[in-house]
Amino acid sequence: ATLADSFLADLDELSDNEADIIVKDDADAGNMEEDVDGDLADLETFNYDDLDSVSKLQKSQRLEGALEKGSAMSNHGIVLEDDPEYQLIVDCNALSVDIENEIVIIHNFIQDEHCPKFPELESLLHHPIDYARVVNKIGNEMDVTIVDLKGLLPSAIIMGVSVIASTTSGKPLPEEILAKTKMVLDFVEGRMGFIAPNLSVIFHSAVAAKLMETAGGLTSLAKMPACNVQLLGAKRKNLARFSTATSHFRVGYVEQTEIFQSTPPSLRMHACRLLAAKSTLAAREPPPAKQPKPLPVPDSEPKKKRGGRRLRKMKERYAITDMRKLANRMQFGIPEESSLGDGLVEGYGMLGQAGSGKLRVSMRQSKHAAKVAKKFKEKLYGSCGATSGLTSSLACTPVQGIELSNPQAPAHQLGGGAQSTYFSETGTFSRIRRI
Amino acid sequence: MSYVLPTLTKKQEVDSFIRSTIDKVLVLRFGRSSDSACLLLDDVLAKTAREVSKFATVALVDTDSEEIQVYVRYFDIALIPSTIFFFNAHHMKMDSGTADHTKWVGPFQQKQDFIDVVEAIFRGAMKGKMIVNCPLPQERIPKYQLLYKDV
Repeated sequence: ATLADSFLADLDELSDNEADIIVKDDADAGNMEEDVDGDLADLETFNYDDLDSVSKLQKSQRLEGALEKGSAMSNHGIVLEDDPEYQLIVDCNALSVDIENEIVIIHNFIQDEHCPKFPELESLLHHPIDYARVVNKIGNEMDVTIVDLKGLLPSAIIMGVSVIASTTSGKPLPEEILAKTKMVLDFVEGRMGFIAPNLSVIFHSAVAAKLMETAGGLTSLAKMPACNVQLLGAKRKNLARFSTATSHFRVGYVEQTEIFQSTPPSLRMHACRLLAAKSTLAAREPPPAKQPKPLPVPDSEPKKKRGGRRLRKMKERYAITDMRKLANRMQFGIPEESSLGDGLVEGYGMLGQAGSGKLRVSMRQSKHAAKVAKKFKEKLYGSCGATSGLTSSLACTPVQGIELSNPQAPAHQLGGGAQSTYFSETGTFSRIRRI
Repeated sequence: MSYVLPTLTKKQEVDSFIRSTIDKVLVLRFGRSSDSACLLLDDVLAKTAREVSKFATVALVDTDSEEIQVYVRYFDIALIPSTIFFFNAHHMKMDSGTADHTKWVGPFQQKQDFIDVVEAIFRGAMKGKMIVNCPLPQERIPKYQLLYKDV
């Protein structure tokens, strides 16, 4: 009894908090979030301790978030996923999933509490919301038969309930949750028309909303195979003590649609499959109309030059040098040398080959003489200053000893013979004829 | 998709607009929403506002409001509609071959004309100029006569 009392006291606290908060359409979602959080926290610290440890921090943070989103909503036709409203809906969906979990937990709690009082009720009514409603209605009545359950349950079940009567004590907690769940569902339903008009035509917006929620969003619903859509929301347990002939196997939320209800029982499975299939197609909403792109800022992107003198000059600075070209080529039959050893490092190629007439390939005097000179001053003119005394301008080849560069030797004979004049880089026109 | 440009009726609003558009051309149309030439101009402005939105902001100023009369006198607005360009709170002038370089008088014949004018102003402003040349040919520039009073 003390536990129940403290529970009730906490409820009063919660409802006081709510009264302070502005009630907007979207703020309801926030309210609900905070309630759920509060309850979740409660139930976790549960083990039958005092429930005053409702975490106010959680409540306020999530509430801020939801209110912000709510106030920033707009109906502009931006891409669906970017729409803050859609985000809010997605959050609501996640929220409702949480609420479902919440409901299960609370249901279990109620069952535990209820066990000594009305054990059979729980086995009669599997659906937690129904169960909670009944518990609520029964309240503190001594005799269950007095209570009018007609509005809540099908008459068969009422009979069952009245047959098995005993005293109970009321638990008004679920009422809050019920109300909040309804609010979220109503809100999502209302927006269904904008978000998924095709889907709302096939099913009523309530069912469409539930489907979307369980699927986890419109795109997830569209991606899901139709067989899964059929099973969304299917009840696992059958009502005990009632004939299983009336229960529908493997039918989920689809069962609640008008189309389904109005088909004769023999065709129901077929109808269910069709509905599920078409709903996946209907869920593929077309993207919102693209608006023309605004013009780019003038002169913001640098012009791309395709050719011309200036570009050529610029490119020449990064072109492949003669030294590189020589190093990339090899002579046939002669293994190339490298600084570290065979195959360890990039070899010298034709650089400094014995008998080529050139020892070190010096930088060809390119057109950027000034720039080049600046960079390679030391190499071109020798070092007029601080170099160590160990460097020399003579080269030592292992085979022929000291080799001196022959200034008369023709520059750059790569192929030799007839090829040289064709590919020669220093060559001139072979024959000029006057026309 | 809003085709409605902001209409300013108070001096404080105009001031805040001028001060708050940074690195974008601010186009202020001074006129009345009932005048036919104003409507022509407003039509062009509304349709191109989104296209130039990356480098220009467009707003309409109602010359019938009392607070705005200060600006009407300051900019010497006699003919309606008059369009005045600002960049980073500097008043940008444009030489279009007419007598008054401080504003553009009259409607634009095509949307592209307006875009060209705004682009010319933007380029000039980014280079640091306070006055730019109008890129439009003389046929498409509305002509008007200025009568000098007491001069």
